Amino acid sequence: MDIKELKKRAENDIKTASSLEVLDEISKKYLGKKGEITQVLRSLKDLPIEERKEQGLLANQIKKELEQAIKSKDFGAHEDVKDRIDITAPGKKPLHGHLHPITLVRREVEEIFAKLGFETVEGPEIEDEWHNFDALNIPKDHPARDMWDTFWLKEKELLLRTHTSPVQIRYMENNSPPLRIIVPGRCFRYEATDASHEMNFYHVEGLMIDRDISASNFKAIMEKFFEEFFKKQVKLRIRPSYFPFTEPSFEVDIECLICKGKGCPVCSQRGWIEMAGAGMVHPNVLKAVKLNPKNWQGFAFGMGLDRLTMMRYKIKDIRLFFSSDLRFLKQF
Amino acid sequence: MKFSYNWLQSFFDKKLPKVEDLAELLCLRVFEVETTQKKGKDFVLDIDVTPNRPDCFAHLGIAREISAILGFKLKEPENKFKEKGETKAQVEIEDKNDCPRYVARIIENIKVRASERYIQERLMACGVQPINNVVDMANYIMLETGQPLHAFDFDKIKGEKIIVRRAKKGEKITGLDDNKYELDKDILVIADESCAIAIAGIKGGKSTAIDKGTKTILLEAANFNSVLIRRASKKLNLRTDASMRFEHDLDKELTIKAIDRLAFSIQGDVMKMVDKSFEKTKERKIKFDLIKAEKLLGINIAKTQARKILESLGFEVSSKFEIGIPSIRQDIQIQEDLIEEIGRIYGYENITGKFPNLALIPAKRNENIFWQEKARDSLKQANFTELYNYSFISKNIGDDFGGPLVELENPYSEGLYYLRPNLLLNLLGSIPENRKHSAQDFRFFEIGSTFRRDRGTIKETNMLAGIITAETDGFYILKGVIESLLNSFGISEIFYDNFEANPEKSKMLYWDLRRAAEVKVDNKEIGFLGAVSQIALRHLQIKENVFAFEIDLAQLIRSAQEENEYQPISKYPAAIRDIAVLVPRNVRVIDVLNIINSTVGKLLKDVDLFDMYEGEGLPQGKKSLAFHLIFQAEDRTLSSEEIDNFQKKIINSLEKDPEWDVRK
Repeated sequence: MDIKELKKRAENDIKTASSLEVLDEISKKYLGKKGEITQVLRSLKDLPIEERKEQGLLANQIKKELEQAIKSKDFGAHEDVKDRIDITAPGKKPLHGHLHPITLVRREVEEIFAKLGFETVEGPEIEDEWHNFDALNIPKDHPARDMWDTFWLKEKELLLRTHTSPVQIRYMENNSPPLRIIVPGRCFRYEATDASHEMNFYHVEGLMIDRDISASNFKAIMEKFFEEFFKKQVKLRIRPSYFPFTEPSFEVDIECLICKGKGCPVCSQRGWIEMAGAGMVHPNVLKAVKLNPKNWQGFAFGMGLDRLTMMRYKIKDIRLFFSSDLRFLKQF
Repeated sequence: MKFSYNWLQSFFDKKLPKVEDLAELLCLRVFEVETTQKKGKDFVLDIDVTPNRPDCFAHLGIAREISAILGFKLKEPENKFKEKGETKAQVEIEDKNDCPRYVARIIENIKVRASERYIQERLMACGVQPINNVVDMANYIMLETGQPLHAFDFDKIKGEKIIVRRAKKGEKITGLDDNKYELDKDILVIADESCAIAIAGIKGGKSTAIDKGTKTILLEAANFNSVLIRRASKKLNLRTDASMRFEHDLDKELTIKAIDRLAFSIQGDVMKMVDKSFEKTKERKIKFDLIKAEKLLGINIAKTQARKILESLGFEVSSKFEIGIPSIRQDIQIQEDLIEEIGRIYGYENITGKFPNLALIPAKRNENIFWQEKARDSLKQANFTELYNYSFISKNIGDDFGGPLVELENPYSEGLYYLRPNLLLNLLGSIPENRKHSAQDFRFFEIGSTFRRDRGTIKETNMLAGIITAETDGFYILKGVIESLLNSFGISEIFYDNFEANPEKSKMLYWDLRRAAEVKVDNKEIGFLGAVSQIALRHLQIKENVFAFEIDLAQLIRSAQEENEYQPISKYPAAIRDIAVLVPRNVRVIDVLNIINSTVGKLLKDVDLFDMYEGEGLPQGKKSLAFHLIFQAEDRTLSSEEIDNFQKKIINSLEKDPEWDVRK
């Protein structure tokens, strides 16, 4: 068959095609695996070399032209509206809600510490004086108690926990070392609210007890945590502090991620940002849970989950977390 | 606490580093410096002295730290003078537990005038107002040594006698601040023979104040029971430079050092000392194990270096490393306290991070959190947004809707008064505020602790609650949400029961109980679902219909199951038939379903309600329920006669009730 004849017939078929289905059929008829053009191309190998070259060139060109014709076929008024798309029109998003940013950051923190072998533990928000204070080496009438402004319940000796540290005690009362836990949770402090203070806030507590866990181990673990959390190398600095339940006690700073230590408004020109209070667990705390401080030692730390969240998303006002404002929440 | 840079400098011959550098050094080695501020030719450092270090509520204390950090030699202030004669003063202590030590000196031939300028400047740098040379010097020595001091006009003390006793009930005193204070037996006073002349450790009295005519003074340096002073200060709501220091356990030996330093600094004839001392300050020694220090800090430290650090801080170090603790360091009680001293002067920044050498134990999964997070994800997928609300509710809302509430001794305000008894009240409260910015339907949820009183105890329950604003179909939407939530927990057997009154629930005024249901799993109620009552909506200023649910998460998690077993898929085709039945309006879907399901048995694989309609086109009082019936066998293809037969059977059963009518 004359290949040009074949081309004419195919062009005519494409021209008169009335729908996508018909066009599909035509495409198959000429260009498919067993299509007529395909057959021609296959038969070329039987021709003498000179003729093969000439016919091959022609057949391939015709194939291309037909493909183009099929692609650009316009059905005009007949075209089914459903078939037409505008790739620049907006897509239709599936509807879904949003999780609170502190939830998202808490999950991340839990995941990172889980990788380091820390189990996540919870505890009650209403606490007794023993777990919140006494067992943590903060006796009644001790000036250190002023470090925590406390919401007291009408019931004697009950209070809203001022930190997640009482869960350390609860956990050690029921579990033997070696142990590694973190405790995320809501805490309460009786203080006026402003952009950086809330009476409801979130802490994450960490505790690791073993035979010879040291300050050096603490530093390595915190460095790893911040590196994983901020997804880059973070410079960490430990300096002296005081907490009744740790000895020695530390304040943990990280180098300001914005100015890299040069000083900027975010770090109040200090170059460092306070991230956690920490220390080596005080022997009196171990004794309070009937562990022998001669055999066991380790570190504890407490960190503001809301603070981590504020850094993660560059949130300037802590009060937004409890505002229930959808304009804020739907950004996460 | 405020410190003067020039004052600190005065303890050293060597020049101190620039104020910012000094602040940074202090921050890395001992205390955080909040701010540094230029004041005239001086700088003021606001240092955050930690409550365990009352010895550093004093310039001398900070200077000792600087000396240890920089290796600078400290010049101890002078206090040598000659006593001029016997004292006239008598001191009587009622209870030695209240006042373990009381030291007094009389100075005669005083000239009251203004203090020297540098004294005034240093006081002002520390925020203390200059008054006259006597009062100023007492304040100055307090800021120098950390020992609060007081000067009485001796001629105004009746009977030349100091009595330290508890106040009598209703006893009154006018303070140096001209305020009148009413005292009681929990408050310690300094008295003469007739009345109280000072509130011990807190405030001097006006009746014995130093004035221009004062000739003879009595200086007091005492040590009071710290708990007593702290309580009294709280009770009187009066916190002073003195009380703030006395609240801590001060060094009893400091009394003598301070009073002599003060006597030395005031011009006049110093008489012999009265020293009422009830317990000798024992010399304390602590055994120090360098290996323990290395193990706790994770560093290697040479003996010589450890010794040098301890000695620089004023500790005596014996050859066997028994450490003598100076009386000023009341905070050093155990070996770990000394390890901290070594660690901080060594420099925590010099400790390098090393991972512990431990067995690889994977962290156990917390089941409670695992399921809780699953619930969050499930609700997020259902288009719910998670809120965090306060754990408090207002007095107003609580009194009207709360039930047996948990009360605070010190609520923050009327608006944040009780602990929340449920999550719904605060969730509902978030609607009006958000309505200002958005016209869309809201779907909110929260997971958190709720608190209520239950037969004398307080119950803290972890709840999950959600709300949806919707015109009418909110109930079914929420029911679907709960269904898919529970399915994700591996729970498929869920029952909904009519509300049944019991004493606890009769207070749940925020539900519209005619349009509410109990959610039950394993025959136990785990939650509630329904429309929010009109009273509650009105009270919370919500102008639209709201549906809500709440679930006891702990109960739900107890029933949760992660295992999910695959059910083989039948090889034989399924046949679907639709059926619509017209029933009286009060007939419930479950009634119809029960009849359909009991008629055919296993071969009826599934029944789906796909339409529920009442209104136009239907007879009065009737509604139409339409179902897909899915027939399938495990072992053969069902013939169409069989299926027709089943359908006929179902129709017959349904039409047994004359008021039911299957639409053909």
